[in-house]
Amino acid sequence: MNISFVFKSELWIPRYTGIRVYSLNEFIDALKVVDRFSIFYHMFINIFNYHNLPTYYTNSLSYWFYKNGYPSLAEKISAIDPLDYFDLEELRNALINTLEKSNNNWYRKEKYPFYFITAEREIIECGNIAQNLDEFIDGIRKSSINSIFYHLITSRIENKTIVNDYSAWLYNVGEVKKAEKINKLDPYTMTLYEIKEKIVKILEGD
Amino acid sequence: MLDQYIPFVGEETINELFILSKKLAGLKVLHVNSTYKGGGVAEILQRLVPFMNELGIKAEWKVFKGDEKFFSFTKKLHNLLHLPSEKHISSDEFVYYLKITYENLKGINTEDYDIIFIHDPQPMGLIINKQKNQKWIWRCHIDTSTPHPQAWNFIENFLNSYDACIFHMPEFVYEKIEIPTYIIPPSIDPFHPKNIDLPEEEILNTLTKFGIDPEKPIILQVSRFDRLKDPFGVFEAFKLVKRKYDCQLILAGTFAADDPEGEEVYKEILNLTADEKDVFILNLPPDSHKEINALQRGATVVVQKSLKEGFGLVVSEAMWKSKPVVGSNVGGIKRQIVHGITGYLVESVEGAAMRIKQLLANKNLREEMGFHAKERVKHRFLIIRHLRDYLLLIIKILGDSSKYSTLSQLSA
Repeated sequence: MNISFVFKSELWIPRYTGIRVYSLNEFIDALKVVDRFSIFYHMFINIFNYHNLPTYYTNSLSYWFYKNGYPSLAEKISAIDPLDYFDLEELRNALINTLEKSNNNWYRKEKYPFYFITAEREIIECGNIAQNLDEFIDGIRKSSINSIFYHLITSRIENKTIVNDYSAWLYNVGEVKKAEKINKLDPYTMTLYEIKEKIVKILEGD
Repeated sequence: MLDQYIPFVGEETINELFILSKKLAGLKVLHVNSTYKGGGVAEILQRLVPFMNELGIKAEWKVFKGDEKFFSFTKKLHNLLHLPSEKHISSDEFVYYLKITYENLKGINTEDYDIIFIHDPQPMGLIINKQKNQKWIWRCHIDTSTPHPQAWNFIENFLNSYDACIFHMPEFVYEKIEIPTYIIPPSIDPFHPKNIDLPEEEILNTLTKFGIDPEKPIILQVSRFDRLKDPFGVFEAFKLVKRKYDCQLILAGTFAADDPEGEEVYKEILNLTADEKDVFILNLPPDSHKEINALQRGATVVVQKSLKEGFGLVVSEAMWKSKPVVGSNVGGIKRQIVHGITGYLVESVEGAAMRIKQLLANKNLREEMGFHAKERVKHRFLIIRHLRDYLLLIIKILGDSSKYSTLSQLSA
């Protein structure tokens, strides 16, 4: 069995889709057709770009609802955890269903438009490979927060599983408790720096 | 040189740049703008071009030359792209623009490069010399969201031949753009005299040189003397704050010798505040970088109460010095300040006064917001991020073939 863990990192460049909407109605219509990685971008950007800051909501869609006077919708959209989905189309449907259930002024022109951006990602190999737990811990210590983001969060989409990369490797080497603890970390309540520290602590524990 | 940035962004971030650039080794990249000195574009290129070379890319920077007539036209074009007005572009001006463009082609050989970055409208016409297999990118530093139709038509003559364009933020993008449009915000350099660490003594000396009391709280706005920067609104907010808080106001800025409106605004605000012993209106020479740096570091609260703004990087400069910023909810200010976390976004004079008071009253809040402000700039608005975005853009434009590179493979 291959137990190598290849450390990778993730970098984004935002590309504007050219879709700008002014009303809830336009917003839902756009959500239905927009590139699915635009949904990826807006649902994950708060972790990716604001990973070092506390935030009021978990994603940028919610901020738009909040800014335009829909605090309830902002909360409902914020409660959708993208980590529960490894299929972006399912995530898209969850968002649309939540919005369509709400009873709001669909056609009112809002003060602030919403700009749909999409993420063009680049995944790179960092040059570290772990063959055992000590090398694994060392590799995480040397990891950037972009690398933590990739392995903990978006690798789930790549691997089509709700188990993150770190935990999947730990299961493979028989470290079940550590794997479970890491898979339960909530990235919305901590910065990625804090998460990194926590992962190292979990791995160093008994 | 990139190693110098490790204390700011971490070794891992710099390592990632080197890994990323391996794919671009030996690539020939050309940047063209219209000046070696002055302005944000030249400032950025002075750093970015050597950085790219350090990463193994063969990067060069050339300057497009024009005469007064040419730059007078491109200034008009710039203004028309920014805001419609009564002015028009004549066919003579179009012809003259092409004439100067052809003349520049003799001095700027674009054929030897793989990637060409053209900054702003002045050198945009060089695209007429585009070769097969080259990728051309237009970097626009202007808010073109509501352009004069004729100015946009002028730009479009060239734009559609480009492979991609870049804007600071989506709000600046004209909706009719058809080529791929990337969003890359501008950045600040921690090693620029505007941003370097200063000894406490230098900060104190600067404050006392201008007669400012270092012991009394300081509210600061740094901006040109321009009505759109709303110095009068800042003074109104200060008066509201002053009712309960003993504090000082500094409005520090500059106006060019050929800027009659700047001089008028300066004199007007000077007269208005003449009887206020705690207000300091400082008209500084354009290269007063260290003085501005010291004023920002000495300030208790920084304000940017513009009525309209481009990106407003002065906000990031203050945030980098761990200062909470109270800024208007306009332009790039709203992209820099995270409301309630790194400072406050406000809509009015009263709102500005209320937030300034909150910050003056609460040292812990200032420190916490200041900490987050610096973190925000460290991750989003430093030149290292800018460099990384350019590398990523080149990789994407070239149609990278890395087996890990495209999301479409992730969920296909």
